[in-house]
This record gives sequence, C-alpha cells and structure tokens, in this order.
Amino acid sequence: MKKLIISWMFFLGIACMTTSLMASDIAKEDLNKDYKSKSVSELFSSLYESTGLNAMINPQEGLVSHGLKVSTFNQGAGRVVMIAICFTLFYLAIAKGFEPLLLIPIAFGGFLANIPVADIAGPEGFLGILFNIGISTGLFPLLIFMGVGAMTDFGPLIANPKTALLGGAAQLGIFGTIVGAAVLTEYTGFINFSLKDACAIGIIGGADGPTSIFVATRLAPELLGAIAVAAYSYMALVPIIQPPIMRALTSKEERLIKMEQLREVSKLEKIIFPLTIMVLCIIILPDATPLIGALAFGNFARESGVIKRLSETMENALINIVTIFLGLSVGSKLAAEKFLVPETLGILFLGLIAFAMGTAGGVIMAQIMNKFSKQKINPLIGSAGVSAVPMAARVSNKEGMKEDPTNMLLMHAMGPNVAGVIGSAVAAGVLLSIFK
Amino acid sequence: MEINLIAETLKFLVLGMSTVFMFLVLMVLVLNLQSKIIRKFFPHKEEVSIPKRPIAQKGNLAVIAAIAASLQSYKKSK
Repeated sequence: MKKLIISWMFFLGIACMTTSLMASDIAKEDLNKDYKSKSVSELFSSLYESTGLNAMINPQEGLVSHGLKVSTFNQGAGRVVMIAICFTLFYLAIAKGFEPLLLIPIAFGGFLANIPVADIAGPEGFLGILFNIGISTGLFPLLIFMGVGAMTDFGPLIANPKTALLGGAAQLGIFGTIVGAAVLTEYTGFINFSLKDACAIGIIGGADGPTSIFVATRLAPELLGAIAVAAYSYMALVPIIQPPIMRALTSKEERLIKMEQLREVSKLEKIIFPLTIMVLCIIILPDATPLIGALAFGNFARESGVIKRLSETMENALINIVTIFLGLSVGSKLAAEKFLVPETLGILFLGLIAFAMGTAGGVIMAQIMNKFSKQKINPLIGSAGVSAVPMAARVSNKEGMKEDPTNMLLMHAMGPNVAGVIGSAVAAGVLLSIFK
Repeated sequence: MEINLIAETLKFLVLGMSTVFMFLVLMVLVLNLQSKIIRKFFPHKEEVSIPKRPIAQKGNLAVIAAIAASLQSYKKSK
C-alpha cells in the first residue's frame, strides 16, 4: 500500500516537471525582449549615465524630487553646497560639541537627502517614510515631550511658583519675532513670509526643539528644515548668545543677589503637579493639550514612583529612539531645493533675534518683580525662562558664580527653566488656535 | 482686502503674551493654594525613619564581607 502511494507521487512529480519544462521552452524567446546587445563602450556609458556624477553635472530640466520641481542649479551645485553645509554641521557637533545628539542625525539626514538619483527623502525613500510617519503627523515631537516630562523634576518650580512668571516673560521672544518676520516681509523685497510662516518662525524663540517642530509641521511644513536647524543650533549657542545680554541688562548688585534656600517639596505635591497643569490646560487652552499632555504623562509616570520601568524607558530608550528618527527625518528637509532659498537666511536671522528677545524678556521681568516684592530674585535666573533645559539654567548659574563663587543659582534657575517649557507649549497652543 | 501684516502680528503679540501670562499666573495661584492645603492636611514625616537604614545596611555589609572572606579562606584551606 505504502509503495503504491510513493510510486504514484513519483509519477505525478515527473508529469508536472515535463509540462513546466515545455512551458519554459516557449518563454525563452521572450526572455530578453527588453534587452538589446550593447558594445562594451555602450555599457560603460550607460553606467556613467546612472552615476551621481552625471546627475550633478548634467541636470535634467523639470526633474521632480521629493514632490518638488528641482531647478537645474539645485540638482548640481546646490546639492554640493548642501552637503558642504551638512559637513559643517558634523564639524560643529563633533569638534565644538554643539547639541551633537540632534545635529548629527539631522546633518546626516540632510546628507542622505541630497544624494542625487536615490531620492531617499522622497515618499518612497526611507527618510520620506519616517517623515510621513512621525513628523507630518506631529507624533515624534510628542513622544520626545513624554521623555522630557519623565526626565524633568518640577520640584524647584513647585517650591517657588512665582519664578514661573519669568518663564512666561521669556516667551516675548516668540511673539516679538513674529512681528519681526512681518517687518522683514514688509520692508525687504526678497523675503516673503505669510502670517503662518511668521508664527512658525517665532516659535524658535521658545528654545524648544520639539515644540518648534510640532508647530512648524502644522503651520509651515515647507520651512521645517530651516526652522529645526535654527532652533537646535541656537539652543547649542545659548552659552554664547545669552551672557552678553544678561550682563548688559543687569547691574553688579543685582547679579550679587543671593536667593533664599528652596523649601523641600513633598512627594504628594510632585505627583499632583502634572495633574494640576493638565486641568489648567484643559480649561484655558485645549489646543496645547497634546504637548502639555505628553509632558504631564511623562512626569506623572516619573513622580508616581510605582512604574519605574515605564518612566525609565521613556526617559532613556524611547527618547533616544525617537531622537534618531526625528533627527534623520528633519534632516530630510535639508534638500537643496527647500533650503537654498532667501527665506532661510531670514529664518536664521530671526531665530537669533528670538533668542535675544526671550533672554531680555526674562531678565527684565525679574527686575520688574523685584520692584514689587520683598523676596528678591536674582535677575540672572530670568534668562533661564527660555526653556532650553537645562543649558539655560546652567548659564545663569555660571554667570552668578562669576560675580560671587558662593552664589549657587542652579536650582533657582531650574524653576523658570521648566516653566519656560510649559510657557512655550502654551504659546504654541495660542498660535495653533489662531489659524484654526 | 490687503491685510496689514505688522498690525496683525502686533495683535498676536498681545493675545499670546496675555494668554501665556494668564496661564502661568493661574498656575502660580493654584500651586500656592495647593501647597498650603497639602502642607496643612498631609504634612510629610518620611524623613524620620530614613537615617537609621543606611547605617544598618553598612553594618550588614561588613558582616557579609566577613562571612564571605572566612568562607573563602575555609575553602582554600581544604
């Protein structure tokens, strides 16, 4: 019985094989239909035509890449310029230590996006796919905010809530810059920003990368690359931009002010804090709840103290993974046809103004508060109101120590610093609500 | 109708700064109130028992080290 089955199977196998062999005989003639015999020199020249060198030297008229028509300049020299800019960013990140965690992925993304032919940043390329998943949808900035929430200790702010006002005043940078962008559009012939563009640029003054990206994707997606690069480069430059402004606006006596020791904050207060913020946000500005909500969730996970595994993942693994994706996909917007426009220069210039104004706003607010309150505030911590956690707080501390090495301002500066994060998220909510 | 860009953005400035301040002032008030309530009804007493534990643990460590050392020398002598 067994033998019968096996022989039957064998016979079947042979029968199938012969029929398929016969079919392949017929197909042979069609096999090379799309190929014509070429000489060796022809083979080489067709290879040359597919090289990057050729694509850059002999640009095609009307080529479409990343969904945009690319001018012949941007196919050749423009790409080389952009790759050179990316290499400069590598240099700044590695040799000068400018926000390497973000600038390296961004610059590498830009490098990949400027490769001719491959179209890596196009909708089919992997950068394009990442961009569509995480940036167009606004997802990545929110995940980063979750991690930021899990990392941040709001204790100094809870201990001295008044310092939150400094974080509010520093948002002057955002709104002042929007006015600045309108002025540029009105009085220069070649830079043209719409109101939405102006608002997206202003948010650079919030000194908060994820918030800038979140707002830019909603209001001015085509300026995203320049805005993100400006936001992160200026955040890296905080220790250079801020001190001269801080010193110019304060007197020596003010810089010598010693602040009272912060009171201890109980665990319960820390647990309730994110919920309080959420409730306020829900009542006043639901438009800011995606950002604040993610921040509050991260912080709640941290302070609750019973889900260490989750909060540790958020502040380490999750934020790191998202940073890689975010950086690369933001970099994909550094393609020549999007970056090499006069508007980019305007954005870089306005970003600097935004940071300077935010710093000044915080410092001046501290001076105003000193006029009205007995508990003196050292105006140096005002500059920390421009988020950029924790760099701006460190700058305040350093400037204070320069005048008096025993004056530790770091914990005091953390208050306005974290309030700045909340303040810029609220400002983002306001801007988004305007264009609804 | 032509929109005056600068006038529009100045309006945004007023709107934005007042909202940010309103939010933060409210936050300051709520936080102050909250801390008063919490400190009145839930004063924290966690600190009382903390200083004892580290000392006890240090003692334990010394004991454990001694046991480990004696075990090792015992094994070697075998």
